[in-house]
Amino acid sequence: MIRLENIQKVYRTDTVETLALNNISLDIEKGEFLSIMGPSGCGKSTLLNIMGLLDAPTKGKISIAEETTAKLDDKQLAHFRNKKLGFIFQSYHLINDLKVLDNVELPLLYRSSTAKQRKELATSALEKVGLSNRMKHFPSQLSGGQKQRVAIARAIVGRPEIILADEPTGNLDSSMGNDIMDILLELNRTDGTTIVMVTHDENMARKTHRLVRLFDGSQVQ
Amino acid sequence: MFKHLFKLIWNKKKQNSLLITEIFISFLVMFAVFTLFVSFYHNYKLPMGFEYKNVWAVNYSRPESLQSVRGDSVMLFNETVKKTVMSLNGVEEMSFVSNNLPFSNSSSNTQVEYKGNKTFTNIYNNEESYVKVLNLHPVEGAWFSKKDATSTYKPVVINEALKAKLFPTENAIGKELGSDDANKMRVVGVVPNFKDKGDFEAPEEALFSRLDTGDMRWSSAILIKVSPDADAAFESRLYKTLSNAISNSNIEIEHLTDKRVAKNKLIVVPMIIVMIVAGFLIINVALGLFGVLWYNINKRRGEIGLRRAVGATGRSVSSQLVGEALVLSTISLILGCFFAVQFPLLQVFDLKSGIYLVAMGFAILFIYVLVILCAIYPGKQAAAIYPAMALHEE
Amino acid sequence: MLKNYFKIAIAVLKRRKFFTFISLFGISFTLTILIVLSAFVDHVISPNYPDVNRDRSLYVNNMRLQSSKKQWTQSGSVSFYFLDHYVSKLKSPEKLAIASHFTSTNTYVNNKKLVINISYTNDEFWNVLQFDFKEGRPFIKQQVDNGEKVAVISEDTKKKYFGEGAAVVGKYIEADNMQYRVIGVVKSVPITQPFAYADMYLPYTVSKMDVRRKELTGNYSGILLAASASDRDAIKKEYAAMAAKIPTNDKEFDLLFTFADSYLANFTRDMFGGMAGNGIPMFILVISIFLFLFMLLPTLNLVNINISRIMERSSEIGVRKAFGASSGTLVYQFIIENLILTFIGGVLGLLFSFIIIQVINNSGMIANLHLTINLQVLLYSIMACVVFGFFSGVYPAWRMSRLHVVKALKA
Repeated sequence: MIRLENIQKVYRTDTVETLALNNISLDIEKGEFLSIMGPSGCGKSTLLNIMGLLDAPTKGKISIAEETTAKLDDKQLAHFRNKKLGFIFQSYHLINDLKVLDNVELPLLYRSSTAKQRKELATSALEKVGLSNRMKHFPSQLSGGQKQRVAIARAIVGRPEIILADEPTGNLDSSMGNDIMDILLELNRTDGTTIVMVTHDENMARKTHRLVRLFDGSQVQ
Repeated sequence: MFKHLFKLIWNKKKQNSLLITEIFISFLVMFAVFTLFVSFYHNYKLPMGFEYKNVWAVNYSRPESLQSVRGDSVMLFNETVKKTVMSLNGVEEMSFVSNNLPFSNSSSNTQVEYKGNKTFTNIYNNEESYVKVLNLHPVEGAWFSKKDATSTYKPVVINEALKAKLFPTENAIGKELGSDDANKMRVVGVVPNFKDKGDFEAPEEALFSRLDTGDMRWSSAILIKVSPDADAAFESRLYKTLSNAISNSNIEIEHLTDKRVAKNKLIVVPMIIVMIVAGFLIINVALGLFGVLWYNINKRRGEIGLRRAVGATGRSVSSQLVGEALVLSTISLILGCFFAVQFPLLQVFDLKSGIYLVAMGFAILFIYVLVILCAIYPGKQAAAIYPAMALHEE
Repeated sequence: MLKNYFKIAIAVLKRRKFFTFISLFGISFTLTILIVLSAFVDHVISPNYPDVNRDRSLYVNNMRLQSSKKQWTQSGSVSFYFLDHYVSKLKSPEKLAIASHFTSTNTYVNNKKLVINISYTNDEFWNVLQFDFKEGRPFIKQQVDNGEKVAVISEDTKKKYFGEGAAVVGKYIEADNMQYRVIGVVKSVPITQPFAYADMYLPYTVSKMDVRRKELTGNYSGILLAASASDRDAIKKEYAAMAAKIPTNDKEFDLLFTFADSYLANFTRDMFGGMAGNGIPMFILVISIFLFLFMLLPTLNLVNINISRIMERSSEIGVRKAFGASSGTLVYQFIIENLILTFIGGVLGLLFSFIIIQVINNSGMIANLHLTINLQVLLYSIMACVVFGFFSGVYPAWRMSRLHVVKALKA
């Protein structure tokens, strides 16, 4: 599903060059639940951003769902992300000015859909994460765990084949974290969604199919 | 400390460039407004140079009958009119004058020459009595009189502004102006400058000469000095007298006091409009500046928290932020002054350099005050930031 | 999609009340000034009482005499003789109104001075200009030819001279020491209508000037009325051919320039055109430069605020990008948001201008001036809104779209 070949990422500032990723090759199967671990600054998030096409690698080749992404322009990339990928962030990144339902509808705004379709899809996504009673609330009225569940609903509302989660449980206590993890596992099992998750938490990582460890930009396991 | 502030601003030059541009343009706007104000105030403080109270202006259309007759008859006609008007109780003095009356919108210019030194000046044609009508006091020599009429050269009186142009160092009396003999003029007196174009206009060069028979044919204005108790009933009598004396003519009587108010309005009304517009622009800029500074401080809560944590007092944090705003405005002002200083250097408009400099000073002061006012409140807010809270948010 | 933008725009505006206030203040004030200005320009330029046929009229006012050898020029209004002897012979115009520029005179009622501005006109003046007669009627050709001392006065003059109330037709008014019989009272005209303004209109034959004197320049102006707007070109052509044949009878000034111009061109030729062109392009250029300079500061201010506002929303931008919004879509979103803001400001501006215009109309600053916000002014203001909103939105939007997703999400 996702294929990375010899990915290298270098950050340049005026004076320093930092090697964030060094020669990473990775093959992720369809339906796989993969977790990435490693200490702070090892390049986990960078790797995830590259998989999510939010950042371009300095060297190397990526293909997602049999499609090589190097040649896509901004518009095509945006379209590709919209169709194939869903994102979950550690700090939720909900739009505070929009109600829960509108937040979840967001990805559907960037494809052709009617208001009615959007509402139906968003409602069913919210049902899946158990928040159908909070549709008319603003994010500021929700707890951290609820916010993250809204974020998951937003990630799955467009029926993407891949979900990329950047420390989804990082800001939550362990019981809320487990709830979130259960939802992700359920998604993986029933819908066959491919999930890549960056985490700090060994317990969470152990529940997934495969674990990749990074250290200083290189793959160690 | 200054270096530290400058570094902060330089490192964020891209974000700050718009702010700098905005302050820069505001400065130019204020410079323009203050230049106007200062120069008008400067002119306003100058003495009027003549008396306009109880002086009335009469405009009349020259009767057709005078167009084709000989010069002598025109003179005779004027004499008759004058005699009739002067006989009216309440008229103190009168003079036939050229159409460029005080506070009127018409002007008449000519070029004069002294030893190859040419300059333009306003020219006023009138009679001997003019000096009494407007209560002018020659500072050198005297006004031309009947006995000058016989001299070879035309006797003229000039004002101090024209004297400064033609004979900056010499005595003006007795000097002859003009190049060819036929049109030569002799200066017989110098009067102080007078602001006949209104309170706010700088006095211009002036040359006064006697109405000769040729000019009389075209002149269609009279200045009359009336007694202080002249009222509308008197004016109506004067009007009747004039229209009988000058038959077949459109006649209008105006008071110089009213004309002065009307003429000043031409400056005051646009100035008020300029002030309102500039005022709103500045309020606009001030609010914008305030908003941007406020936002910047909120964005930098972490940095401010850190500064507090390493030992900066609330006071030093807020003065740092005000200081930053001041450095920013100084950069804009240096840029602005570079452009503003071109005006006196290149003499773009006919204004004294001093006026520009004073206006520049006011504009600089204004911008600094404005920026400080806009920065104080956000600065205070920043001083109130708790280091622990701010750093935790990061 | 648009509905969503609208929702978010309103939400953002509500949340940042202070920024919204600053933006709205700047926008509405700027637009107020533009609207009041365009209402004034519209009042001056567009057809207005009593000069309602402006789009099928041509105006003759200035004449310039020039020396082909020296740099001497002399210019002024045309004379009655010129209008009567040359212009009235033209075949293509339907009618020719002739009127003198007003001359001021005094009259004294009950020991109070009254200034009366008199214009001397021909009879067709009343056909070309559509005056609103409150009483009586205009003078006719026969009365003009006979040199009858009859007068049409303005309502203001009636009020000042005779007082409020009863009809005055048939009564006598004294001006310039002469008695004139009032035969009509018209609705007053503001001084902003230089071809129609006066307090009292008299037949040109009672003028104290000899109107038959054979001079080309004088104190008169003429309005040529065409059958239709498109006929005006033919009149201009005939006029030019006529002007080319007129001898100046003056050795010093041997070149003569005079034009039949549309209303606006009549002024702009004088101000900007010289005799080479009608000056309208220059006039538009000057107005545009003025507008640009005037709008520069408010626009910069709005750009500054917009950038602050955007940076504050970097998380939102990051999320939108991650979920499939392209840079173009985001630029579009932000410009729409800004236009919504501008339109709210525009509505406020319209409200303020309405109030200001009422104040100006009632202040008597210019007597009988009646500014209005008509469709055309409204159109101008909407245009100004769009331009303003667009320009103040484009640069911040561009900055926003260039924001790197990863950085935006981190902030």
